Amino acid sequence: MNQRENFFKMLNGEMPEFVPIMTDLYKICVIGTCVFDQPMFGNGKDPFGVNWIVTKEGAIPEPNNYMFEDIADWKKYVKFPDIESMGLEEAAKEEVASIDRDAQIINVFSCTGIFERMASFMGFENTLCALVEDPDSCREFFEAMADYKIACINKMIDVYQPDMVTYFDDLATANGLFMSPAVYRSVIKPAHSRILAAIAARGVIPNQHTCGKCEEIVGDYVEMGAKLWNSAQIMNDLIGIMDQYKGRLIVEGGWDSSGPASYNDATAEDIVAEGIRCAKEYGPKGNYICMPVFMNEKGNAMMVGGDPRFEALLETWHKVSKL
Amino acid sequence: MSKITEVKENVAGGKTKLVAGLVQEALDEGADAREILAVMSEAMGEVGEKFSSGELFTPEMLLAARAMQKGVDVLKPLLAEEGAPSYGKCIIGTVEGDLHDIGKNLVALMLASSGFEVIDLGVDVKKEKFIDAIKANPDVKIVACSSLLTTTLTNLENTVKGFKADKANKFKVLVGGAPMTRELANSIGADGYALDAGAAVLKAKELVC
Repeated sequence: MNQRENFFKMLNGEMPEFVPIMTDLYKICVIGTCVFDQPMFGNGKDPFGVNWIVTKEGAIPEPNNYMFEDIADWKKYVKFPDIESMGLEEAAKEEVASIDRDAQIINVFSCTGIFERMASFMGFENTLCALVEDPDSCREFFEAMADYKIACINKMIDVYQPDMVTYFDDLATANGLFMSPAVYRSVIKPAHSRILAAIAARGVIPNQHTCGKCEEIVGDYVEMGAKLWNSAQIMNDLIGIMDQYKGRLIVEGGWDSSGPASYNDATAEDIVAEGIRCAKEYGPKGNYICMPVFMNEKGNAMMVGGDPRFEALLETWHKVSKL
Repeated sequence: MSKITEVKENVAGGKTKLVAGLVQEALDEGADAREILAVMSEAMGEVGEKFSSGELFTPEMLLAARAMQKGVDVLKPLLAEEGAPSYGKCIIGTVEGDLHDIGKNLVALMLASSGFEVIDLGVDVKKEKFIDAIKANPDVKIVACSSLLTTTLTNLENTVKGFKADKANKFKVLVGGAPMTRELANSIGADGYALDAGAAVLKAKELVC
């Protein structure tokens, strides 16, 4: 059974033959999101004019450089780019050519979700205060931004013909949600829901990315149609979630990304041991995909490649992941 | 309800547009500036506790801190005349290599609202910049450093060890950030560790008292 067959068995709620690991399973496509949402591989401005700085663990908007500070002003500053003139077909040509549709699941990333987008314009503190102080302006912003995201996602689906779109919106810290579940449901969720529905309407699998402790709204993700939740970090009750949503949600993550296996100086043994823990602890549930996260001097080894510790992990993974 | 109780409730409720006016009304009715500051700090303490227990979330805590700031702005000229109570200076920053500022800003805001004089060095702060700030502020009571990234934990460790290597330093070192744990904080020689902004205020007060 190949990666695709094994994945779709899992997606259909059956027990897979082996526990997938993201690097084997996916062909991840990122050029589309670099064109429409944010630079990922070098410092620079996004199509809205926000300046991004690339760090070892990903790109972030330049701190303390805000486009506006009051969400009521957003229409004065936010100019939506014309996605048809942005040249995605040309930019993604090489990435599309490298796709092997028989071997892997084609997973297109859609970064900078609507909440993150608001924070990129006006900073996290102003954004969080606005959710409570001016929810009406926030809702209006999120709906408009959802329209943009949906147009971009549709364009990416046209170009890549993917199996999956992973929509990124980080709504939580390691300790809990940034905002109360009630505020999320009232202010953000309606627009968020439209984005996931738009992905599903094209026959593409919606994967929801949210780091941190967001277990209080994982049920909302399932209700909105997300079939996978990435990066499912260990501060959440992963086993409980796998049990509760078996057959409806695949949990993708499980790696202790704040622990010793993700430290710069982690040995191959540390990393292999964490891989074995993930395989043994979560794999038997049948709705789990491992997402290794470990760092080297260039950044996240899974993204930058060329890390010999990764070969050690995969060698062991292929031995321990059989179910 | 007395005006001073109203001030307290509106700080706790994050009413940023009302607190300044209420503080002025309380002053006009004869309340003492220090007394008003004390009830606002009390409100922030309660907000911090509710945040740490999960009863309140970051937006509500931020709004409370901003509301208090509005009140403090009204009190400032009076407190300057009377000599404001303070827990002392706190230098804060995110360590070298780390550009994340959400948690650090929240802690800075909460410390400032709770009576510390906060000197915020920003993000990506080299050990030398911390040391320069310490030299420029020899009466500093707390130096607070954070790292969100596992990749910059080593920089946090080197920064803290750098402070501790100088036995003449009398200030306390407080650390935090997602990959930080109490055990790790102990192992690098920090005096205190806080899981979140509410806990940071409690720990900072404990360290200076």
